[in-house]
Amino acid sequence: MKSLIIGETSNGTISSGTLELISKITQEGLDFKLITIGSDENPKIGSDTFKNTYMKLNQNELSLASVANEISNIIKSESINLVLASSTYVGRDIAGFVSVDLNASPISNVVNFKIDGDNLSTTNSIDGGESDYLTNVTSEVKVLIIRPKSFEASEIELNNNYETVSIEKNNLSVAVQDIFIEEKTGPQLEDSKIVISAGRGMVDVENLKFIEELANKLNAAIGGTRAIVDAGWMPYSQQVGQTGKVVVPFSIVSGILSPSESVSRKSSLPSLSVSSGLLGSAPAS
Amino acid sequence: MKIAVCAKQIPDPAIAVTYENGTIIRPDEQVLDDTDRYGIEVALQLKEKFDAEVTVISMGKLGTQKGIQQALQMGADKALVIEDESLKNSNSLMTSNVLSEIAKLAQADIVIFGTESSDGYSGVVPQQVSRYLDLPCISYVKGIEINDETLLTRQTITGSEKVVMPSQCVISVTASGVEPRYPNFKDIMAAKSKVVEQVDISSINLTAEQNQEFIEIKSISNDKSGEKHIDDGEAFNLIIEKLKEIKAI
Repeated sequence: MKSLIIGETSNGTISSGTLELISKITQEGLDFKLITIGSDENPKIGSDTFKNTYMKLNQNELSLASVANEISNIIKSESINLVLASSTYVGRDIAGFVSVDLNASPISNVVNFKIDGDNLSTTNSIDGGESDYLTNVTSEVKVLIIRPKSFEASEIELNNNYETVSIEKNNLSVAVQDIFIEEKTGPQLEDSKIVISAGRGMVDVENLKFIEELANKLNAAIGGTRAIVDAGWMPYSQQVGQTGKVVVPFSIVSGILSPSESVSRKSSLPSLSVSSGLLGSAPAS
Repeated sequence: MKIAVCAKQIPDPAIAVTYENGTIIRPDEQVLDDTDRYGIEVALQLKEKFDAEVTVISMGKLGTQKGIQQALQMGADKALVIEDESLKNSNSLMTSNVLSEIAKLAQADIVIFGTESSDGYSGVVPQQVSRYLDLPCISYVKGIEINDETLLTRQTITGSEKVVMPSQCVISVTASGVEPRYPNFKDIMAAKSKVVEQVDISSINLTAEQNQEFIEIKSISNDKSGEKHIDDGEAFNLIIEKLKEIKAI
């Protein structure tokens, strides 16, 4: 099975989600081509063990449709039949575009897959993580969108051995008027093994200092419900649920700070919940 | 300006989803997916500024049409819906193919979605529809500023970026930035007289095919569903113990 990984850069190197895909495909013993998408200048994303093409975006143009054109052409010309993307903003955009070009519906929320000759079966997370949905994928090209943390990322020695393709805008590109880079400190929601999640039960924004302290000690990311994000207690990037961002920590400590039951349940996160009489009276989830 | 906004009817989220041969069993009475309320709100704000026509587009079991009515009650003008046995358990590509065709019937300049449905959560239908329609896709929109031109703020991994909304495009809207309106009694009564037109499947060009063969659904064991404890002042010890158990620390 000829494989293609749609990867991304992060902070000048390969994103953790991309590394997870490389690890899995390597374990399966498949040859693969890597396409890494990003706007970093000279990222360290090359390797002597696999071929990487860096598709460099112009930050001033929203041009992922143009990237998708390039990728679809490669898939067709090189007869690739397995395409993997991470369940990120970029990964889902590209997988969606490419799936139409290939007439191959992508399989979303994949947490594992098995290859047996030309056959491929997937395990998909459904019902907020409470069940696994097992399915055979029958299209000639199989496009899988993998949930983060589904596979353990292995260490890869990276260098500057890769080719760069500059992405030109096309008729579907949209000019970007303004870019806002959010200052981020500490572990991020999408990468962290632990998320400390807060809700209205914190009673007052001042009380967030307690979870910051706890998060620092546990090297955890801090998440919040829509209610407290709307209230301006946390930036939107820290909202858990209904944001398009897929968060899959190994553990979430919730309820301590009392997010509502529905949010933590639908966020499909394995949780340990502690209700604190000190911090508020909202129900523990 | 003509706007098509997607409204998916889903089983009441308060009730556990059940399946038959891998397909969600849908009751006659389904409700409007909460995620779509944000897209509808954006459509209505555009309608108010540009005197646009807003058409709700929907695919799936119609039943009592409660969810469609909820979308119309918010202020949409009419609905184009499709239900056909052959579309049952459609994959995301079939869904986007059908919705694209319906958006064409609505002659939509702008097509708006939530980010992902609450029952299928494939999260790719807006992108696919933009591809089918050959329109720019502005995904993960978390803010809208409507003046003479419309500025959309979209979430990115590093923060956010602003773009001017093209005159024709597909937008997906996250649960932020706008507050979906609640219909009043007058809106609820007015919705009853709005046109809900059923589209016949023979009138659309469906090329996408099913590409999944269902095997089985397995429940995840309860050890992932969480525990509940009341803090007696020493809960931090329990948290640390549990995190050590799963080797998170």
